[in-house]
Amino acid sequence: MIAIGIIFFGALVLLFAGINKEEARLKTLASVIFGLGGFAIWAESKNIINTDQLFAWVPSGMIAFNPTAQVISAILAFMAMIVVNLMPAVNRKGMDIVGLMMFSVCGGILMVGAQHLVVLFLGIEILSIPLFVLAGSEKDSLFGNEASLKYFLMGAFSTAIFLLGAAFLYGGTGTLYFHEMLLRTSFSEHFGEFPVLVKAGLILVSVGLLFKVSAVPFHFWSPDVYEGSPNRIAAFMAIIVKIAGFAAFAQLLSSFAPMQGWYSTWMLPISIITVLAGNIAALVQNSYKRMLAYSSISHAGYLLLFLFQPIQENFQVLGIYLLSYGLGTAILFYLFDKYAKSEDKSVNIFTGLAFSNRLDALALIVATFTVAGIPSTIGFIAKYQLFTSAFTSAPWGVFIGLLGSAISISYYFKPFRVMFKTESDSQPSIQFSWSNACLLILIASILALGLFPVVLNWIF
Amino acid sequence: MELLIFLPLVLALVSALGSKWNRWIILVFALSGLLILTGNFNVLAAAIQEKSSFQTIVDYPWLGDAVHFRLGIDGITLFLLLLTNILIPVISLSIKTDKRPALIPLMLFMQAGLNGVFMAQDGLLFYLFWELAMIPIYFMTLLYSERDSYTTTIRFFVYTFVGSLAMLASLIYLGTKSVNGSFAYSDLYNVQLTLTESIWVGAGFLLAFAVKIPLFPFHVWQPNTYTYAPAQGSMLLSGIMLKMGLYGLMRWYFPMASESIDFYQPIIMILAVIGVVYGAIIAIRQDDMKRLIAYSSLSHVGLIAAGLFALNKSGFDGALLQMFVHGINVVGLFIAVNIIERNFGSRNLNELGGIAKSNRLFAVLFFMVVIGSVAAPLTNGFPGEFLLLKSVFDYNTTSAVFAGLTIIFCAVYMFRMYQFSMLGECNSDTEDKTIPVSELIPLFVVAFFVVSIGLFPQWYMDLFQNSTTSLLQIISNAKGVLS
Repeated sequence: MIAIGIIFFGALVLLFAGINKEEARLKTLASVIFGLGGFAIWAESKNIINTDQLFAWVPSGMIAFNPTAQVISAILAFMAMIVVNLMPAVNRKGMDIVGLMMFSVCGGILMVGAQHLVVLFLGIEILSIPLFVLAGSEKDSLFGNEASLKYFLMGAFSTAIFLLGAAFLYGGTGTLYFHEMLLRTSFSEHFGEFPVLVKAGLILVSVGLLFKVSAVPFHFWSPDVYEGSPNRIAAFMAIIVKIAGFAAFAQLLSSFAPMQGWYSTWMLPISIITVLAGNIAALVQNSYKRMLAYSSISHAGYLLLFLFQPIQENFQVLGIYLLSYGLGTAILFYLFDKYAKSEDKSVNIFTGLAFSNRLDALALIVATFTVAGIPSTIGFIAKYQLFTSAFTSAPWGVFIGLLGSAISISYYFKPFRVMFKTESDSQPSIQFSWSNACLLILIASILALGLFPVVLNWIF
Repeated sequence: MELLIFLPLVLALVSALGSKWNRWIILVFALSGLLILTGNFNVLAAAIQEKSSFQTIVDYPWLGDAVHFRLGIDGITLFLLLLTNILIPVISLSIKTDKRPALIPLMLFMQAGLNGVFMAQDGLLFYLFWELAMIPIYFMTLLYSERDSYTTTIRFFVYTFVGSLAMLASLIYLGTKSVNGSFAYSDLYNVQLTLTESIWVGAGFLLAFAVKIPLFPFHVWQPNTYTYAPAQGSMLLSGIMLKMGLYGLMRWYFPMASESIDFYQPIIMILAVIGVVYGAIIAIRQDDMKRLIAYSSLSHVGLIAAGLFALNKSGFDGALLQMFVHGINVVGLFIAVNIIERNFGSRNLNELGGIAKSNRLFAVLFFMVVIGSVAAPLTNGFPGEFLLLKSVFDYNTTSAVFAGLTIIFCAVYMFRMYQFSMLGECNSDTEDKTIPVSELIPLFVVAFFVVSIGLFPQWYMDLFQNSTTSLLQIISNAKGVLS
């Protein structure tokens, strides 16, 4: 919880500092704050520090992190740090982008720790409202404005559905605490049926969250919004929103474990359709960024498979998958941002990359491998654990997931078609820069975690 | 023994960092695997003597409790490790580093993967190395193939990847059924499956292996990949990669899904025999030498798969010996084609001829490889092919008759290739050009094996005799569960 405090106050400072400082200068401060917050919450999960006394005034039980949730929160903060450092800043004065990102991360952490529907709602809103602004932060861009408006309308719509569901759940159970809801309705289990209000409420709340994580058929906003937003905001959305959304979703559903058999009857089809639709739609995309958007939808499909098993026991499987997804996606968005300077947004932007910049070429290969789940990268470990743990409860889902992974090869590998062509005459030159150092660390961690997954036990 | 995996990886990194390497340094790099093997002589000697199969030699926890970094060794593994680590230096000798710098690191990377595949004693680790061995060959083909690289390679990759994922699904299924979810080799084959389960699990394994071998209807990726891949890529693919599929059948499919063997045996037999005849007939009509070898390889491995599925001692022994021999011969053929193409600018049979006139030594060496492939007695092809045909005959006479056609067909296309390229009249391209002797060094190594296996097959067979017996024992025990 101390992380929320650190990042929140850091965000306030940066918001004011942003008025007359260039953003590039604020980067260092922002990374320090993200790093500090992330480390604090990770240290808490390992019992290195203990801050329970500091937050004794928070009504008990509304926010409660289990150790894995704390690690996921730390991942959130570190991913934000990576995005801020990796992607080049826009050098304009009066920018408050980093500050807004920090507020958004605060909301994300709140979502991960929420044990109460109102706190979850607050988290979603704190996460989303800065994003509505950030999506349109390139004020001159028509597409940016479209993305912002679209995201805002969809966000408002999904929030309304979520609130309606929350109201139903409250009506059905008389409490807003996750873990109490089913206890209050336990009497009805004798009749083998759960109250209709609880069922309807759970469906509506889930739909609200499915909007956030862009699962089919609630995904239509995401390719447009990703495409219109500035690249690093798109990366931020793709990573942070998905991590926070899934962690919160899993926390919520873990309290509804007795209803698992019931909710998997309608959520499993959603997962299967998401995997198939995401992958097939990604196949036909021309723009690399739209392809990334659809790939992120397909990942949502794989992640949904996680929800049909004993969630609490396997929580770290989710964490590992989210970590691998975040690392890979961050690199791919960074590379897209670096090379998509002209009108052309297709994979042709990577032509000759292997000869003009070897580090970026390596990064592209490693990141592609990790999102595609090819062994030797953390992506494989994550996918393997996800599928193995989900196998007993949803074998067909896993089967479709494997099929989806096979399909995904043909679009993930598209850049390889052009990157080895010797068309560019530019001499290979790699200067040391902050982004390159970041990139190296990311590549190293993807490979190290993939080859020595024992390290994961130490992180989680 | 884990050095056999890690040292090539490190050397791959080292060679990737520098750009210009002396070919002798590369040879030393490539020889590292063989050196480690000889260094571990005691372990290997014990493995050959050992009556029980597949001793664990390395065991670290890798991912939780379920998956261990577990390597094992027995005669079968040892034999294939020898094949890999002998062929890698041979292939490395044929590389011209100045033009294709990335080949060396990719090849060493692949060596690590291949050594891992043959030693892996844990289902997930096997899958991991299986894919690791595939990645370098993908990039080799992508970077240096002659034309149409993307379509060829993506077809190759998607085909093999779909197969691998099916295998992963089977492994995960077995893993969830095994004690404590462990992926250890012995835990996996102790899983009891019903017939239906076993058929599905077996289908996953078979798809992966059939694509890799390749068996008849799954071979679509093969001719183009072999033809357009760089020469070294074709050598690695046909010489060693194929053997992964055959090894997988032997070590993983039969024990894991033994209940389904009776179901799949006739199907695979028919497919394998069709592949034998089909590959041979198509090879006869080819003018592109590499394509010819690709189809001949399809025909040869079909016979090996048929021998394996006959499930008797002579089938297993013959298959293993023939895996080694086919690896040696096909690499020899590709090296010869590579030499011809490099010196005479073409590998099309219509544009060649008369090379033997001014290159006597090359003609002799090439001919040795050719008769080795034809399986003439006293060359290395003969003992293995004889054992294989005998085992297929024991299984079913009709299939043996058709499979036996391979010897005739093979003579037709191999001698046709030799005749049109080496003999006859010279044309303007082939006149008065001599091949430098230094290029022939790898062929000497190949020729050594052609003669020595041909004359003393038992020396080589003694390496894996005990292991095949115990593996067959395991399979028949497991089959006995149901029948």
